[in-house]
Amino acid sequence: MIDKPLTLPGYFLADLPDGAALTPGLITEACQTLKRNRARYLEGRSTESLIQRLDGIGRDWLEADYPFRRHVLEAGPAATGFSAAVLAAGLDSFFRQLTTENLEGLLRQELGHAHRLDDFYPGDHEPGSNRVALARGPELLAHIAPGNIPSAVMLNLILGLLARSAQFVKCASGQAFLPRLFAHSLYEADAKLGACLEVAEWPGGTASLEDALFAQADCVAATGSDETLASIRKALPGHARLAGYGTRVSFGFVAKEALDGRHPESIAARAALDVAAWNQLGCLSPHVIYVEEGGRIGAEGFAGLLAAQLEALEKTHPRGRLAAREAAGIASRRSFYEVRAAHSPETKMWASPESTAWTVVWDTDARFQVSCLNRFVYVKAVGGVDEALQGADVVREKVSTVGLAGSGARAAELARQFARWGARRICPLGEMQKPPLGWRHDGRPALGDLLTWSEWEK
Amino acid sequence: MSLLVSFDGFVPQLRAFITRSQEQPVPEAELDAEFNRLAAALFALQRDAVPIYGEFCAKRKVSAVADWREIPALPAAAFKEFEVTSLPPAQRTHVFHSSGTTQHRPSRHFHNAQSLALYEESLRPWFRRHFLPEQAAIGGGADRSDRTDQAICNPQSAIRNPQSAIRNPQSAKPVVNERISESASGNSELTGSLTPASLTAPASPQSAIRNPQLIILTPSPAQAPHSSLAYMFDTVRADFGAAIFSGRVNGDGAWALDLEQTMAALREAQSAGQPVALLGTASSFVLLLDHCRAGRTAFRLAPGSRALETGGYKGRGRAAPKWELRQMMTRWLGMPESRILAEYGMSELSSQAYDRVIPEAGGGFRFPPWARARIISPETGREAAEGETGLVQVVDLANVRSALAVQTEDLAVRCGAGFELTGRAAGTAARGCSLMLAEL
Repeated sequence: MIDKPLTLPGYFLADLPDGAALTPGLITEACQTLKRNRARYLEGRSTESLIQRLDGIGRDWLEADYPFRRHVLEAGPAATGFSAAVLAAGLDSFFRQLTTENLEGLLRQELGHAHRLDDFYPGDHEPGSNRVALARGPELLAHIAPGNIPSAVMLNLILGLLARSAQFVKCASGQAFLPRLFAHSLYEADAKLGACLEVAEWPGGTASLEDALFAQADCVAATGSDETLASIRKALPGHARLAGYGTRVSFGFVAKEALDGRHPESIAARAALDVAAWNQLGCLSPHVIYVEEGGRIGAEGFAGLLAAQLEALEKTHPRGRLAAREAAGIASRRSFYEVRAAHSPETKMWASPESTAWTVVWDTDARFQVSCLNRFVYVKAVGGVDEALQGADVVREKVSTVGLAGSGARAAELARQFARWGARRICPLGEMQKPPLGWRHDGRPALGDLLTWSEWEK
Repeated sequence: MSLLVSFDGFVPQLRAFITRSQEQPVPEAELDAEFNRLAAALFALQRDAVPIYGEFCAKRKVSAVADWREIPALPAAAFKEFEVTSLPPAQRTHVFHSSGTTQHRPSRHFHNAQSLALYEESLRPWFRRHFLPEQAAIGGGADRSDRTDQAICNPQSAIRNPQSAIRNPQSAKPVVNERISESASGNSELTGSLTPASLTAPASPQSAIRNPQLIILTPSPAQAPHSSLAYMFDTVRADFGAAIFSGRVNGDGAWALDLEQTMAALREAQSAGQPVALLGTASSFVLLLDHCRAGRTAFRLAPGSRALETGGYKGRGRAAPKWELRQMMTRWLGMPESRILAEYGMSELSSQAYDRVIPEAGGGFRFPPWARARIISPETGREAAEGETGLVQVVDLANVRSALAVQTEDLAVRCGAGFELTGRAAGTAARGCSLMLAEL
């Protein structure tokens, strides 16, 4: 077989050559085409055939010689800053989720029945013997995609397809690489599905283009800072709904029993995976790992183990190159902690030599600290879960995921405490950046929130 | 050389170095050797006398240096958390804070009479050489400040030398509402009608009548006693004719600009054919120029007029890129690019860098011979290659009582013997999720 470089057809707006100017008219026209194509190709499509198609695409992306995957791994490092190994790990954990079983499970979970987007069906546990319901997605779903990691955009696109929506994905400037390839892979596998997608990129807040998009969309799914969401909310016309995903932070918690075992380094290895996945840039990536004191190994010892694991990961899954501004952010923070560590025995820092690849800062101050990311993680000693929650109180409203190392009854009790406190998701340490397909994003039903119900009482 | 074993012994030698380097051309190699000798000596003094710096150097395992480039650079952020000084509390007669609103913990740079006098001696010749080269040529560099005694003040007694304060009648006007920060709150009493802030300095004896009228867009040191910038501008005003401070301080510590006063002073100078020298932060210029633009008021200032612009925006007000700011200054103040000087300085340093000699073509920022900048690769910590973006690190011999080597968070690219600023280190989450806590 002769390897050919992947050439993408010029199909999406994001395929236009650099500098080709987008205009509001172009956006409006694209949206109208999407809606027409949706009516023709997608609205009447069965859930079963969609799931079959998505399952196939998921399998393709896991194949080593799938041209799109190969292209991502070859061109991705230059285009995204992620190393090939980080991209491969991210693709694997995402597309392994994209199975028939998971897709059907997601639909049952959110709709009470897997085929309620096709026709009227009674719900699994809904009262009323004569009651049936069907759900409809928005005609045009617009995505304001986050700039940090691509998996969230791909998941939202899949939800939009299940909802039979035409979709317009607006990426931040220079951030369209993976969403665009994913859209092309859909187009190649199923041109009719591809005809209901559009991908474009422009600098966030370009009012003329966004107004044109919002005028056509009946739902906007936006990920971004709270300020971005507020400005989108203001710009949306009355008919359009906003599914907004704001700034979230996450942390890990290592229960003391977890470090009593014979292999505390395996716990550190799991924490390292969470720090390295998508270079810690996602909302589900940990800024801080709280370590409960009293186990065989304390927080300081754990920090050293974590540093060793991050160093090992740097060899297999290198972080990749950073822009000077971001590297300088890490260097500046490091030098600040270097001073602190010189002054106080209650701060210690481990850092990759001759690079900014990874950094671990241990201290005894339980206050949550926002990381500069790109594999810069805090390890903080706490006396117990209460102290961790107190320390994280400043970000209480913003916490997405708690990665938990613990087991048995204690883990259940800790999970309850985190949930009551406000954490949206509790998962095993090491799985933080691998949310299941059906996870309730930000504590909301991700698919369910897009839909409108019609009920029939027979 | 035994005089270098104490700060009191070091200071006269530094003074001599400053004077000598400004008086006549000194061969580069001699300057290098003298700089190196003084830097190594000051390093040894500070390592022993500035506790946090000593701890930092011990951690880095540096106890003596053969070359100034080996001196460990203390991050500027350390000035926020620690008292980076060899001065015992009782001797700290003055403190400079980094700018910022009251919510943020500022950097603190402590001074006594001696170090403050050195600060002035460091800033005056280099300022003059770049901003007023005509005067530098006449007056020479051996400028012994005649204001040293009155310049030293206790941080608590904010008003300096009140006898010389002639109230400017324009300061009685209420301040136009042009708050710099976005959070709304009332103006403090400081911006009320009875502020003693606007001082017109009587022309100093040596200043010629055609000296520029000085309009300083920052608050006066009386209003902003901890601002090193206000202090600096106050120090240089002896080189000018009449001077006003038209900046104000709001209740939350944010700086504002008295536009009416500024515009009136500009109009007056314009009709008298008097050249004007404007000194201000980039954000104060944006306020002024936006006002000019809104009112379609374009000035034709007399030949010889000039401006000095410094500092970034620190998240306040509208930030305009440098080229836009320059364009607007040309458009609305009639100030050609060649007469706009950019200054690079910070409260953690005692010397400043400038990017041109007015009215020559601009180059990179250059510090005076007694301060040197290196551009450091953030990845490796080593000196950045030519053309590579890195962090600015400064070794400033005039930082006598704090730490001579300071690691800034400013990004720059080396250009010839100077450097060009390209931005700031990312403060927090670089892409996507951004959320900043007060800690750093």
